[in-house]
Amino acid sequence: MRYSLPSPSFKYLWWLLFLVVLYYSFSFSKFDVFALVEGFSNSLALIEEMIPPQFSNLENIINLTFQTVAIGLWGTIIGSILSLPVGFLSARNTSPNLLVYYTFRGLVNFLRSIPELLYALILVIAFGVGPLPGIIALAISTVGLLGKFYSEAIESVDQKPVEALQSTGSRSIAVFRHAIIPQILPLFVGYNLYLLDHNIRVAIVLGVVGAGGLGVELYSQMRAFNYPQVGAILVVIVLAISLIDRFSAKLREDIQQYKLLAYHTKTKDLILLASTFIVALVSLKFLPIDTSELIRGFKNLLPLIGEFFKLDFSELKTYVLLMLETVAIGITGTAIAVLLSVPLGMLMARNLITNFFVNNVAREIANFLRAVPELVMALIFVSAVGLGPFAGVLAIALHTTGFLSKFYAEAIENLDYRPIEALEAVGARLTQTIRHAVIPMILPLFNSYNLYILDRNVRAATVMGVVGAGGIGFELVMRIKLLEFEKVSVMILVILLTLVLIDYFSGYLRRRLV
Amino acid sequence: MLFLNNINKSFGKKKVLDDVSLQVKRGEVLALIGPSGSGKTTLLRVINGFVLPDGGDFYFDGTKVDFSKKEMLRNIRKRIGKIYQQFNLVERVTALENVMMGALGKYDKGIDYLMTSIGFFPKEVKEKALYLLEYVGLADHAYTRVDRLSGGQKQRVAIARALMQDPEVLLADEPISNLDPGTSRKIINLLLRISAEKGITLICVLHHLYYVQEFNRVVALKNGKLYFDGPQSDFSLDMARELYETELEEVYFEV
Repeated sequence: MRYSLPSPSFKYLWWLLFLVVLYYSFSFSKFDVFALVEGFSNSLALIEEMIPPQFSNLENIINLTFQTVAIGLWGTIIGSILSLPVGFLSARNTSPNLLVYYTFRGLVNFLRSIPELLYALILVIAFGVGPLPGIIALAISTVGLLGKFYSEAIESVDQKPVEALQSTGSRSIAVFRHAIIPQILPLFVGYNLYLLDHNIRVAIVLGVVGAGGLGVELYSQMRAFNYPQVGAILVVIVLAISLIDRFSAKLREDIQQYKLLAYHTKTKDLILLASTFIVALVSLKFLPIDTSELIRGFKNLLPLIGEFFKLDFSELKTYVLLMLETVAIGITGTAIAVLLSVPLGMLMARNLITNFFVNNVAREIANFLRAVPELVMALIFVSAVGLGPFAGVLAIALHTTGFLSKFYAEAIENLDYRPIEALEAVGARLTQTIRHAVIPMILPLFNSYNLYILDRNVRAATVMGVVGAGGIGFELVMRIKLLEFEKVSVMILVILLTLVLIDYFSGYLRRRLV
Repeated sequence: MLFLNNINKSFGKKKVLDDVSLQVKRGEVLALIGPSGSGKTTLLRVINGFVLPDGGDFYFDGTKVDFSKKEMLRNIRKRIGKIYQQFNLVERVTALENVMMGALGKYDKGIDYLMTSIGFFPKEVKEKALYLLEYVGLADHAYTRVDRLSGGQKQRVAIARALMQDPEVLLADEPISNLDPGTSRKIINLLLRISAEKGITLICVLHHLYYVQEFNRVVALKNGKLYFDGPQSDFSLDMARELYETELEEVYFEV
């Protein structure tokens, strides 16, 4: 052969494996180009029916929006408080012994692996329909996330300032206050803001299974084919989410620029803390909960938990097949998201496309896709393309395009221009420069994002079935509603095992990419 | 080989090159010096067509360069090798691949252009790249990823990449500013050896005066103006002091 391969030939085996997996994913998730075209026109027709949105019920919608925010806020507050001890006990440097360390680490990983919606589904059985199961579900899943974030922050504390203060003869309280708190507090607050943002989004979706908030209304209007009302709710959702998104981004930026949580901002910090407190108290007004409900719920919950341990493996094969379909939905959705995100991300990148208008339109599209929760998208697509995995694929693909395109655009904007200039200086043409300088720099980054999104999408696909958009979720809801918890727990085991496997595999690939 | 006639260039209000004229013969070796911001880098970027001068003419090998003709600029770039302060290598790929990239300009037509665009190089490129890596003293690191190499090794890869072009002119923009003193000495010696053995015209921007004595000819810029152009022996200590507006010792010891 006259030409030599640029890289070792085993690399091409990976590509082959990748194509095989992709082929089976597409066929397993019943992806179909004709259905895509038809689904597209159906979706447009559906959206057309939502226009103009009917705001006659606006007061109720606004009330429910506040309830959703209140659910997210209280879920975050309770989860955050619970996460503090969990974080310290699952951090290597503050955990009393290895047994405690591994126990809590395992607990945190377990809690994180189970989708919030699944907690809510089970809790709704015990606590009844309403915001309470939503808050508890969010609190539990918050411990899974924040426990990990906290412990990582604690593990990354720099010992040098601690040693410096100790060497001045300071008391340990003073060392803690001046050397450790300033290191971890901004991180902790940043994570809480992120979680609040995340939990409010999730709270919208939790309504679909009856756990309170805007989702309940959305789901019932959707089922009543009352599309103008659905349109109104969607408008409110998108507005509320982008508002919250911007607010928390601003706060996080302030923290990074030492405009908050720094030595000279104590008054501002106190005002912020006090206003959070007041908002939390006021938001209770939107949460019709009484303590007897709480106690009754926990009384109901205890016997349920016992049921979970009576594992019934008789239908394991069905679950495995459904899980394969779930994985296929995640992979196919990710693949389509990648295809959509490459052009969208390029349009968003300010250094590639210098047209301000084009940049902003592309950015707003991405913001919109991120703002509509994928389960809400799935609801719409189920109406447009019918029940089944295809609706789930579309919802996941569109929603995560909002994330991926943003990551891609940032990667393109941060591209190192020096090697590119060097190749131009050699006299290389544009296509050669792209192949030899741009792609080697950008592809590993893109792929690392893709794997991260894949992980996330398989997880998301496990609950797509709740609205009938394919995967194991539908069977899961059925069994929970039939109170067959001995089967539910086997399904959860299958889900967890698959997620761990995928997590391990994508982690392995990510490490290879570095 | 190179003839710059009254080149002017401004970035905004700042005049970076102010009526600079320079004539460089084939095979000549010269050091380009001057304080930060005096226009050294911009002058090099005019020569390989990355900066479009506001006024003045530039002749390359007897032909007047038309900066609006992209193909013409590309054809000139093919004949000019450049090495950089930051090396400008693609960090994630092997040293060998980086060196082979130097040949991209040559394979810009027909099937070879197509193949190099999708990532395949002709066999002879690989053989030559391996030879050049050996020539710059990196035979053992052909298949090492660039981000695992030291600064001096990276600069050797960059030099091999430039040599891959079979350049007639070699532009070095502060090639040793990121290197330690011992490595700097080796890189300067390598550049001078290459120029002598292959008859390549060498223009080397130096941030410090320490290595100026190795070059026959010195060109100094100050505030965009040509401050000195002549044999190194004529460049007096007082001139250096005035050029850098500082005590001479500092100039020499700031290595």
